[in-house]
Amino acid sequence: MKKVYNLLWVGALAFILGGCDEKLDIEPRQSISTDIALSSGENIKNILIGTYEETSQSASYGGFLQMMADLYGFEDQATWGGTFQQPRQIFNKAIFVDNSFVSALWLNAYESINQANLVIDYADIIEDETERNTAVGEAYFLRALNYFDINRFFTSPDGSLGVPLSLEGITDYSQNLEIPRASSDAVYQQVISDLENAYELLPESNSFFADKYAAQALLARVQLHVGNYPAAAEAANDVIENSGHSLTGTYADAFNNDVDSSEDIFAFQVTSQGGDNELVVHYADQRFGGRGGDITVNPEYLALFGDTDDRGSFFYISAQNGGTLTEKYTNQFANVSILRLAEMYLIRAEANLREGSAIGATPLEDVNTVRARSNAELLSDVTVDDILLERELELMFEGHLIFDYTRTGRAVDGIPADSDRLSFPIPLREMDVNSELVQNPGYGS
Amino acid sequence: MKKQLQFLIVLIFSFTCHLGFAQEKTVSGTVNDTDGLPLPGVNVIVQNTNRGTQTDFDGNYSIEVSPGEVLTFSYVGFTTETLTVGEANNYNIILQEDASQLDEVVVVGYGTQSKRKLTDNVAKLTAEDIEEVPVPNIQSTIAGKAAGVQIAPTNGKVEGGVNIRIRGIASIGAGSEPLYVLDGVPLINNNESSNGAPTNPLLTLSANEIESIDILKDASAAAVYGSRGANGVVIITTKKGKEGRSSFTLNYSYGISEPTNEMEWLNADEYIELFTEAAVNSFGEQDGTEYIEGIFDFLAGDTDWRSREVDTDWQDLALQSGHVQDASLSMSGGNEKTTYFFSGAYNDTEGIITGNDLERINSRINVTHSFDEKFRAGMNTSFSRTEIDRIANDNAFVNPIQAVAQPAISPAYLENGDPNPNTLYPNFLLQDKHAFYKTVIRRITGRAFGEYSFTDNFRFNSDFGYDLYYQTEDSYTGRLAPFQSTNGEGYASSVGTESYVASNYFTFSEQFGSAHDLEVVAGMEYNQSNRRFQSITGIQFPTDDFETISSAAEITGGAGSESANSFLSYFGRVTYSFLDRYLFKASVRRDGSSRFGEDVKYGTFPAISAGWIVSEEAFLEDSDVLSFLKLRASYGETGNANIGDFASLGLFGGISYNQRPGIAPIQASNPQLTWESVNQLDLGLEYGFFDNRISGEIDYYVKESDGLIFNEPLPGTSGQSSITRNIGVLENSGVEFVLNTRNVQTDKLSWNTNFNISRNINEVKVLPDGQDVVSGQTILREGEALSSFYLIEYAGVDPDNGDALYYINEDGGGRETTTDPNEANRIIAGQPYADVIAGLTNTINFSGLDFTATFVGEWGASIYNGGGIYQSANADFFDNQTRDQLRRWQQPGDITDVPQARLFGGNGTANSTRYLQDADFIRLRNLTIGYTIPDALTDEIGLEKFRLYFTAINLLTFTDFDLYDPESVSDAGQGAGVAFYSAPSARTMSIGVNINF
Repeated sequence: MKKVYNLLWVGALAFILGGCDEKLDIEPRQSISTDIALSSGENIKNILIGTYEETSQSASYGGFLQMMADLYGFEDQATWGGTFQQPRQIFNKAIFVDNSFVSALWLNAYESINQANLVIDYADIIEDETERNTAVGEAYFLRALNYFDINRFFTSPDGSLGVPLSLEGITDYSQNLEIPRASSDAVYQQVISDLENAYELLPESNSFFADKYAAQALLARVQLHVGNYPAAAEAANDVIENSGHSLTGTYADAFNNDVDSSEDIFAFQVTSQGGDNELVVHYADQRFGGRGGDITVNPEYLALFGDTDDRGSFFYISAQNGGTLTEKYTNQFANVSILRLAEMYLIRAEANLREGSAIGATPLEDVNTVRARSNAELLSDVTVDDILLERELELMFEGHLIFDYTRTGRAVDGIPADSDRLSFPIPLREMDVNSELVQNPGYGS
Repeated sequence: MKKQLQFLIVLIFSFTCHLGFAQEKTVSGTVNDTDGLPLPGVNVIVQNTNRGTQTDFDGNYSIEVSPGEVLTFSYVGFTTETLTVGEANNYNIILQEDASQLDEVVVVGYGTQSKRKLTDNVAKLTAEDIEEVPVPNIQSTIAGKAAGVQIAPTNGKVEGGVNIRIRGIASIGAGSEPLYVLDGVPLINNNESSNGAPTNPLLTLSANEIESIDILKDASAAAVYGSRGANGVVIITTKKGKEGRSSFTLNYSYGISEPTNEMEWLNADEYIELFTEAAVNSFGEQDGTEYIEGIFDFLAGDTDWRSREVDTDWQDLALQSGHVQDASLSMSGGNEKTTYFFSGAYNDTEGIITGNDLERINSRINVTHSFDEKFRAGMNTSFSRTEIDRIANDNAFVNPIQAVAQPAISPAYLENGDPNPNTLYPNFLLQDKHAFYKTVIRRITGRAFGEYSFTDNFRFNSDFGYDLYYQTEDSYTGRLAPFQSTNGEGYASSVGTESYVASNYFTFSEQFGSAHDLEVVAGMEYNQSNRRFQSITGIQFPTDDFETISSAAEITGGAGSESANSFLSYFGRVTYSFLDRYLFKASVRRDGSSRFGEDVKYGTFPAISAGWIVSEEAFLEDSDVLSFLKLRASYGETGNANIGDFASLGLFGGISYNQRPGIAPIQASNPQLTWESVNQLDLGLEYGFFDNRISGEIDYYVKESDGLIFNEPLPGTSGQSSITRNIGVLENSGVEFVLNTRNVQTDKLSWNTNFNISRNINEVKVLPDGQDVVSGQTILREGEALSSFYLIEYAGVDPDNGDALYYINEDGGGRETTTDPNEANRIIAGQPYADVIAGLTNTINFSGLDFTATFVGEWGASIYNGGGIYQSANADFFDNQTRDQLRRWQQPGDITDVPQARLFGGNGTANSTRYLQDADFIRLRNLTIGYTIPDALTDEIGLEKFRLYFTAINLLTFTDFDLYDPESVSDAGQGAGVAFYSAPSARTMSIGVNINF
């Protein structure tokens, strides 16, 4: 008995005095350190995939970005009837500085941009040259996409101040991270140069990832936006002529696709197992996975279509609120189309018309190409206003509307295109943490 | 065996150089109080010698004496007994309580101490304080009973989280929950809910098996828990068997619950009136009327709103009468070697919100056996199963409380009795009918312990504790539930967290002469915790009869993750008293943890304290008025290690994009990240007057939290929105006042009052670069209280045109107003946490009647109604409105605080002080009235005790707060002090019976 006790005591003492320091080294199982993440080519390519995922999240290209661009532009075409206050503020063109959709867009865009920057900065360690070029090209494309859209939303009403430009990947968060806004032009120039680089680096086709024509198509959109029409026409023409994409047989075929359609130049991928499609959430009724139809289409918009136009009947009635809803978003697991070929025809048409050129085709031919697919009556002549109307008929609810007003200097619902109300406020949370930022006029200081 | 033992004893005694006398014999026995409870720490002295011992934890003593010598048994708070040793070797002693003295035993870490000689601030609650309160969680039973301890329930859901705040909030980002230690085992206290609203992990405990709760408030008491003691420590001790005959205790109660409060909403008439006006104001007489009537047609469905065919009270559908049923049976007893306590308990609570229930079964076995005088061992084991039917978090359309947003003209049900699917917002009744969310928590907590006494004064304890928290969640959303578009969706998760702790420590306690009393504790502890989580989501079910994942045709999501943390600790404590009146204590703990950054793995947490029992001094000894006076002071450092398992590392996590794997940054690195350290000074005074008829404590404390762990917002342009840093300093300082009085004390009638009040001032002292940190509607600003509300200031309504106005509040500006909320500057408008809390308990016993009433009061907090912009927005959108919106401005000259009703007008709907309210309240938290049948009668039927009682919780509330409840805030993580369709608390009234036999 005594031996037992003594043993116990000795054992206990040994336990107490014996070190177990190594027990304090526990590594995470679901994540890796920044050092490891940036030390192999394979992981840099993984970060690129992560950048696609980040960019496709709800706050931006998962749907809210496109939705905000349309809500901001609606006059009488459609109405926000949902409960969320943030989209309603945008619909009313009276945005509060703490609008969380606005700040989420900002944060999400810069998360994507930083990840793209990391890929660009560390791509050297990808050994295979083709793979390396493709990865860097895709990163340029994604960076340009994000910068272009946030710059369009946040540029000051006089067009001078754009968004801050951060072009190097950040992993050290102990440094001073406050940077000022760049000029809006500087941001657009960066976007154009990124896309030109991407075009050089990317292959002709690249599965569902960005290829060189995705970069070219986005470049066409950017050039049209900044008013460089010859370049816009050239870029759009290159896509139409060389990308191998074609318009889908019917208008309906261009939407709700689980796999990219022939018309999709670039789309963010959604499956039942991942990816966000917020467009369905807010445009669809509940049987399609929506909230019942937060955005209902008004008779004024329906009246714009000709009788035979398939696009004019591409609507249904919500089982929840009785409103008219677009059929563009009725598959909650559909990819989110970002660049459709139809837009390229309309860009080429507008750019040619404004320049008096006929690169690739005449403006009338291009507009009729788009109209013919939907069985709309063909036009016999075409003006800039006709093309802008055609864009509204073809591209509505896809995130173009407000920019088509502001870039052409047209008032929105009586609000002049350069009104303070048509620029987003710099998010309040960002103003709170970055003393270098200047707020847009009309949003306090 | 016996011979061997004697040999061993002799050997060990000589080994430890104790002077033994061969002619003496060993006398042993147990010291109990009049209730038969064993008394630990009783001084047993051989009169006129300096030989003596103390009883152990179970009241056992043994001492070497010669026949004829006299033993005195003394214990603070009890009368002293003497005994002349005769032939027998065993003497059991019963000590009478001496009301004129002030003492009880408090449980401190790794030991116990006499309250009288304690130099720490520890609040003690006993079984009497917490049993019979008809709530399923033990935290709520503490409310109002310990000074400076705020019990803040989230809201009225049965499983809802409960925050305990001891002396204010000492942390911003690392959690403010105290450490819970059950019989020496640190309890797992992680919220594991997957539906966005936290569950209370301590729901699994039953109050019926708890003997005492000791709340360690100051640093001197908590420092022995080192890096986990910063928010205070709650030590829960379960019941034990007593030597003597077996006894059974049966308790059963049944009660009904109702919401403490309901709000007033527009009825059909009022809705139509207000919204017609709002539409006309926005779109003109004709367009407006036409438009809104179209909306009314839609909302009314097939019913005729013009004839007011339907006037649905949606609130009434969301809230219901619930019930609480609680039963427990325990058996305890023991002999001189073995004591045991067995118990089982059952609780069935149906909440006050439709679809919210809880059912729990608990069982416990505590057994201790003394193998001989040197060695005893035992085990405490409990298991429990808790099943909860849950409803959605507050910020979800299918949260039943959100039904209050539905207009009264919408029918709740169709003619065929099915819930109406065509409502403004998804009808929660569809969710209630066609979906479920079930959580089951299984918990096993146990401790095996051994104690070996080398000598009477020197012992070794070795404990091994284990806590397993295993939770499963299953949910199925059927085809007809709102938002269901995938032929059903099923979700199943399981999470297991286990924590094991090995503690080994030596205790040496010795009285040197009659003047010096010394206790030294030293030991080590290793604690590891592992967590493993899995979940799976599937869609496309053949029919709604299939609800488990196996029947899902498509699996859409899955997760599996593991995490762990460990703590390695060494601790020591010295307690010394001189002449029973000069008291000293020092303790230190050194903690290392896997959670801390590479550069800062270990931390040391020291504390010292001293006390002086002034009333023992000659100049006060004979005072008739002052019976007890003690001054004490303590200072020490504790830490808060609730920083997440890998918070210091820069991390990338896996993601998937179209079934391709990738990685993305998930956390910015900070190798300097470590625990928050809290330095606390406590000055205390304990007093007793008139034989302690009046007694109590006054404490002043200053608690400074340094290196606060905080998710500091970063410029979003950096690619991360926040980083975890040790930034800033936060101070809580305050005063606590406790007054206990025995107002009447006669044979027939006794009336005791306990009153406590505390004031805590919370101030953010230092932030990096002095910069404000704004998150949502709250701000951290130097010199202000933690998470103060930061809002633009509502200025009421322009009497000329009904516009909502806001104060511009420009620096140096006057009181100019604006209609544009973007032009108004934010101000500090209040704080989300109460700064004064008080409790008042009266206990009256008269013959067989007993009466206890506890009032709780809280002052100083505000609550922001996050739902205000929808529900009290002068008909801005179609949501049903609170009835006070009928006060809207209607014509020039109207003086009111509700702006003109303008549909979609955004008139006054910015987040502003319009939706901020004081949340002061006084509440009759608990009332119990019991009647015990006289002994003469119970004896006849063979019972020891038979008592009937009525008990109620939240019976009365006095408040000006006009939302649901001043103790109800959002459970959906919407910020401190924000309510959002948050359910009121329950008011429960139960009747019950206690039977002992």
